[in-house]
Amino acid sequence: MATSSGSEPGPSREGEENKEKDERMFECNICLDTARDAVVSMCGHLFCWPCLHQWLDTRPNRQVCPVCKAVISKDKVIPLYGRGSGKQEDPRNKVPPRPPGHRTEPENTNGFPGFGFGDGGFQMSFGIGAFPFSFFTSSFNFGEPRPNPAPVGTPQFGEEQFLSRVFLYIACVFILWLLLA
Amino acid sequence: MANIAAQRIKREFREVVTSEEVQRCAIKLELVNDSFTELRGEIGGPPDTPYEGANYVLEIKVPETYPFNPPKVRFVTKIWHPNISSVTGAICLDILKDQWAAAMTLRTVLLSLQALLAAAEPDDPQDAVVARQYKEKNDLFRLTARHWGAAYAGGPDRNSDFENKIRRLLDMGVEEHKARVALSSYDWDLERATEQLFS
Repeated sequence: MATSSGSEPGPSREGEENKEKDERMFECNICLDTARDAVVSMCGHLFCWPCLHQWLDTRPNRQVCPVCKAVISKDKVIPLYGRGSGKQEDPRNKVPPRPPGHRTEPENTNGFPGFGFGDGGFQMSFGIGAFPFSFFTSSFNFGEPRPNPAPVGTPQFGEEQFLSRVFLYIACVFILWLLLA
Repeated sequence: MANIAAQRIKREFREVVTSEEVQRCAIKLELVNDSFTELRGEIGGPPDTPYEGANYVLEIKVPETYPFNPPKVRFVTKIWHPNISSVTGAICLDILKDQWAAAMTLRTVLLSLQALLAAAEPDDPQDAVVARQYKEKNDLFRLTARHWGAAYAGGPDRNSDFENKIRRLLDMGVEEHKARVALSSYDWDLERATEQLFS
């Protein structure tokens, strides 16, 4: 394939060859075609999920990697989700769906779990505990992450704006009272 | 034939034909039919072995379940080797049985067989007679293997001593291959071979 005389026409041949080279990188180790519904074993070898599934079904007592013979299992493969994947229906695809990826949420560095309550984004923090200046936390935003504010334009947004002004006003009055008293 | 098997053989065929081993004439692969179910392989005897300089033809049958099951391979050329039947050409090699893996290809199978010629496994024999000779009279085994290579696989050095003994049996009306098998099996002891042939 790679070596052919110059009789073949077409200016895009070189590009095609390069493309072919690139695609070989992503060939399934079983069908030697570009991997579809690609999965990777823990030992790092690439397969089509239907191919690997059939291989593991053929030898239920000897679940080894077809390339390096490391022990593998159906639950311990990682699916690969490329950008251009999907929509290509494979006729061999009459196998169970490939196992999902395992993902863990990044850990929150949460100081006060459950401090903010209020489900719509409104932070009922004023007056909690002995320290009444909650406008510090609500205005300067330190402390734990809070639920996202309601999007601009919704009735809830207006409500929140209104409430926060009311509380700010009350806080100001309270401080004035403290200073004057 | 299942689509995947034919697809793969096509690709593998291309791979073997363009591989460097072919350019060194160490292995060869030909199609026997158009449906990619049967192929004809050829391997050169590895250097520094009794098989050096000889060429061995293999029959390769690709099952429908390939590559999930191994291809069926057999020596067409007669060969004197502990792991290959001197009668049927059947091969005792783990990767052609339970140690097969789907990522193996016809190229790796041919190279493995070549390696088997260089490193026999007499403790897991296919041909017990050959294996016994390999273990007990290794020098004689090497001469016999070389002689078979010359007689059947185009190798050098037919060994005139062995030739003479065969000719003696031919004069008695024994067919050549039968004579060679009998003499090889009895460590080239003409008397015992004759006895066995006419008993």
